[in-house]
Amino acid sequence: MLSSLFFLLVNAWLVGAAASADYHERLLLRPLPQDTLLASFNFRSNESAAAFEQQNFGYFPRSFGQILQHAHAKELHLRFSVGRWDAENWGQRPWSGGREGGTGVELWAWLEADTEDEAFARWLKLTNALSGLFCASINFIDATKTIRPVMAFAPEGQHSNASRLHLLHGTLPHEVVCTENLTPFLKLLPCKGKAGISSLLSGHKLFDASFQTMAIDVRPTCEEGSATCALEMEQTVDMVLDLARAKRPKDDPIPRPLPIDQLECDTSKPYNAHDSCYPLNKGTQPAWTLEEVFGRPLKGACPLTGQTGDEADNLCINIPPERTVEVKTSGEVSESRLVADTLRCYKLPTGADVDLVLPEQKMATDLVRPKPGVFAARSINGHGQERGSIQAVISNPSTTEAVEIVYLESLPWFMKPYLHTLRARLDTTAESPIKETYYSPAVDRKRGTHLELRLRIPPASTLTLTYDFDKAILRYTEYPPDANRGFDVAPAVIRVLSPQARDHRGIYVRTTSLLLPLPTPDFSMPYNVIILTSTVMALGFGNIFNLLVRRFVAVDEVPITAAGGIKGRVLDKAYRLKALVLGG
Amino acid sequence: MAAPTGTDASLAAKPDETSSQSTTSPNSSPSARKLPPPESRESLLLRRLSILSFWVLVLFVGLPIWLKTTAIYRAELPLQEMTDWAEGKVCKPVFPLRIAVEAPVSIPDAHHLLRTTQHALDDINDFSAHHLRLMLADSPLQSNASQQVITDGTGIMSNDRDVALAIRLIPVETGTTPRSHLQPYTPMLDVYYSPNQIPSQSSTGSTLATFLAQELHNIFAEEQAQLVHLLSASSGAHAAKIKALSPETSAELQRQSTRVLKYAPTYHLTFSLFTPSYAPSAWDIETALQSYMSPLLDAFSAISNFTVDTQVQLYATFAPSIHQPEYDEEKKTWILHKEDLSGFVNAAEWPLSPSIGEGPTVNFILYVPDRTQSPLLIKENAGNSWLIPQWGGVHILNLQGEPDTPSALTADMLAPAMHTFSNQLISLFGLPQSPASLPLRLSTLERVRAASLIFSASSTLGALAQVYQKLPSIPVPDNVAQSTHRTIAHLQQACDFLRDGRFPSALEHARSAEVEAEKAFFERSMVGQVYFPDEHKVAVYLPLLGPIAVPLIMAALKELKSVFKRG
Repeated sequence: MLSSLFFLLVNAWLVGAAASADYHERLLLRPLPQDTLLASFNFRSNESAAAFEQQNFGYFPRSFGQILQHAHAKELHLRFSVGRWDAENWGQRPWSGGREGGTGVELWAWLEADTEDEAFARWLKLTNALSGLFCASINFIDATKTIRPVMAFAPEGQHSNASRLHLLHGTLPHEVVCTENLTPFLKLLPCKGKAGISSLLSGHKLFDASFQTMAIDVRPTCEEGSATCALEMEQTVDMVLDLARAKRPKDDPIPRPLPIDQLECDTSKPYNAHDSCYPLNKGTQPAWTLEEVFGRPLKGACPLTGQTGDEADNLCINIPPERTVEVKTSGEVSESRLVADTLRCYKLPTGADVDLVLPEQKMATDLVRPKPGVFAARSINGHGQERGSIQAVISNPSTTEAVEIVYLESLPWFMKPYLHTLRARLDTTAESPIKETYYSPAVDRKRGTHLELRLRIPPASTLTLTYDFDKAILRYTEYPPDANRGFDVAPAVIRVLSPQARDHRGIYVRTTSLLLPLPTPDFSMPYNVIILTSTVMALGFGNIFNLLVRRFVAVDEVPITAAGGIKGRVLDKAYRLKALVLGG
Repeated sequence: MAAPTGTDASLAAKPDETSSQSTTSPNSSPSARKLPPPESRESLLLRRLSILSFWVLVLFVGLPIWLKTTAIYRAELPLQEMTDWAEGKVCKPVFPLRIAVEAPVSIPDAHHLLRTTQHALDDINDFSAHHLRLMLADSPLQSNASQQVITDGTGIMSNDRDVALAIRLIPVETGTTPRSHLQPYTPMLDVYYSPNQIPSQSSTGSTLATFLAQELHNIFAEEQAQLVHLLSASSGAHAAKIKALSPETSAELQRQSTRVLKYAPTYHLTFSLFTPSYAPSAWDIETALQSYMSPLLDAFSAISNFTVDTQVQLYATFAPSIHQPEYDEEKKTWILHKEDLSGFVNAAEWPLSPSIGEGPTVNFILYVPDRTQSPLLIKENAGNSWLIPQWGGVHILNLQGEPDTPSALTADMLAPAMHTFSNQLISLFGLPQSPASLPLRLSTLERVRAASLIFSASSTLGALAQVYQKLPSIPVPDNVAQSTHRTIAHLQQACDFLRDGRFPSALEHARSAEVEAEKAFFERSMVGQVYFPDEHKVAVYLPLLGPIAVPLIMAALKELKSVFKRG
């Protein structure tokens, strides 16, 4: 419990480090169970609202800023995610899920507009421009993938004219996030991956991680009591690396079994012999270094960050106090220990490589990781090509406090839910957990289903949410090239309303995306139809034509040439040829 | 299977030989085989008629319907007209410039002066399309109703928008006369003369008239050269009639015209600070722009609008494809080779994406080299700035005398760069070097732009006509035809306005014509079908066409054969 408190303090400390300088960056490393490592990169830059309006961009990237101005976006959140956060083992999500996105691409923004139509036109401008900037298919977020959430999202910034703002939200669960999205992401940073903690980010490691999410958040911030406002841009990368996988050498990336004499075997096993080996569970923390895990060295600090106080601590590691950490560098590094020694932060030198070396060590104690407030899983049930049902299981692990959540579903139009089949059951009470429902039904090819539920789950209870749906049959041209793979259904977004979040980011949980198999036609069908009809027509034509133009005679009246047919003609030719050769 | 059949055939040949011999002999005897009864004339006719009707049906109904239903839509385009425009047969641009003369003398005297000056002017001018026409202005002192009637036709107000230049004759007693002064911020030429230089009614020449003619010719010399170059470059039809420019002038004009930005109603100017390290990371660009750029942009605002944005980019490295700067021991400088300047801007890594919105982006790059590589100069001429045609300009700012690269650049440090950028902007804009009066230069630009837009829209039309004729398999939707008609209408109007000497309106229409022409030429739906050739169409319908065609052709052949046998 004590360690758990430490952990909470760590989070509070990290969040509370307000940026007074215009640019701020920090990397937090935290070993997780099963020999994994969470690396949480956070970059934050500020631009004064006046300079932003005049298009004088400093640390705020120009290309991105112009897109925001063009689309009149006042607050924007963009997420690229791959993988799944294993909440059972890894505990609470980084930033309490506030900087996480559903699988694929997720985008939501508050746009300033007078009417809903104008807001949507600007939304299309925004998605098209972002698509070009990030080399992603964000432009495929059209009306069918766009919803206007009512309860699930709250603005993070301070907005002056909130009544003219429109919230739009779109997801692309099918999008494969990869290196081409990371490169423009890094280019937005003032130090561009050339110095500072961003020098560790490489596509090879990031997209090889078990879980990774890249986030961009822009919000206006106004200091209390003063009229000066600023635009804050926060870029976040969270990744969970498998240490053994990440440490594979670059020149030999294929995992191979070790030679038998290098294996460490559990000799206590009865079947242990010269040719059989049970791997020894040493119960130790594995050894790793920064350079090994990220595949490249950390090139010192980005000199634009503040040089004093909390600001200067760019690299933090959250480990038990007795774990040894060796810092290798040619420059000067100062270490500070915080939060009862469980958090070690380093002030990085400028222009010198830094490496952290953690040896293999047997630990007596480990950090206690807090449980997440809510566990959620969602799946498709049923069989056949006509209908199915969705089941979402959400549980509240707390034994004392009830949680209140908002459950948001954004379903594609070709998945048609029946709202009357919606059932929410609690395993502890018969009371209905649904407090509020917002539902906007789908319109074929125009709009997807948007379902929002406010739910209350009592302590130590599990909620099961089910509803049935029909699968639509698409038009021939609406199928993608890989139609038999199935269609992705966006993850459900769960926002925790109470217990309340400690910071402006909020507490969120997202389920995994689903794969929905739809009935797919045979795609050579049109050609087959043409051939079949043509054959039938040709048959009919041939019969009628022959009946009309042929002369009918008795069998014995048929002329010789006709009776001989091809065989006769061939024989005739052969005879003539022979006569020609022999007779001369 | 082939081998056995071969042997079969050879084996079968022997018995057949006998059989064929045996069949030939019985064949001659009619008793062995029954012949079909001779066909009646009616049934023969009927059969031939039915075959014929099938053929008629197929050829005149079936095929046209099939072709029609599978054809791609091609709107009618006025091809002949388009080609005429492209070849310059329709419009021969002329530039009659009106020049208002304000003379504080009696009307007959003024008319006489005008006439003599006009004669002198016409004698000097050897480019007939560009014609200066002198007109008597109604000077504020003289304007009243009666004189308005007298000077009707040639009278003109000196503040009219369509007047290219106003000449104000001012009588003076002192100083050398005649002398002239061109006002820098209004299109006005002040000419000082002594009253006795006004030619008398009887005389045929005068120093004042000659002076005026020469002065006007000089003022518009560069404009004439530019127009001559434009006409000779863009239309073959005119080239013969135009006197050739000297090769040097021609090359210089060519150089100027290649770097000029394409005309747009809005330009985005992007000022970027690039540095290979982390300093300087801030600049006082707002003040610098305010004091060095705003006046220039205000002057240009009559022609185009401008948006300005700035950015700071750190850790900007050179592209690996160019030579890294080398140290020159003698000059104690770092040098860049001239041939590497084209690759200096690292387009792959430097975020210089065009601004969002209509119109092209003009980039101005301020590069502050690293302390260890400063000063950085170009080897050939020790310069530190250059212009990239149709794209923007680069200025390397070597901070001398500073112990360390400052983290922020002040407006004073930016002054040399800002001067370079304003000169580069003027060149990119295609503003002529002379005359000294800015409004005159701008109006020259207006005429040159109008003419070049007319030529470019016409040649786009010509290209569209060629595409239409050369690629019969592309579809041409109706809006292409509409755009083409609109282009031609705008071109005609632009040409008419040019002839009337109303250049702003001409530019307006030329601009619309260019926009419409581009819209027609770059219509997206025209390219889609290029990859769906006619062979494909036949292949898809072969299962129908084949089985129908075979009996039709066979029946026709058979009947024809029998006709020939009898005939």
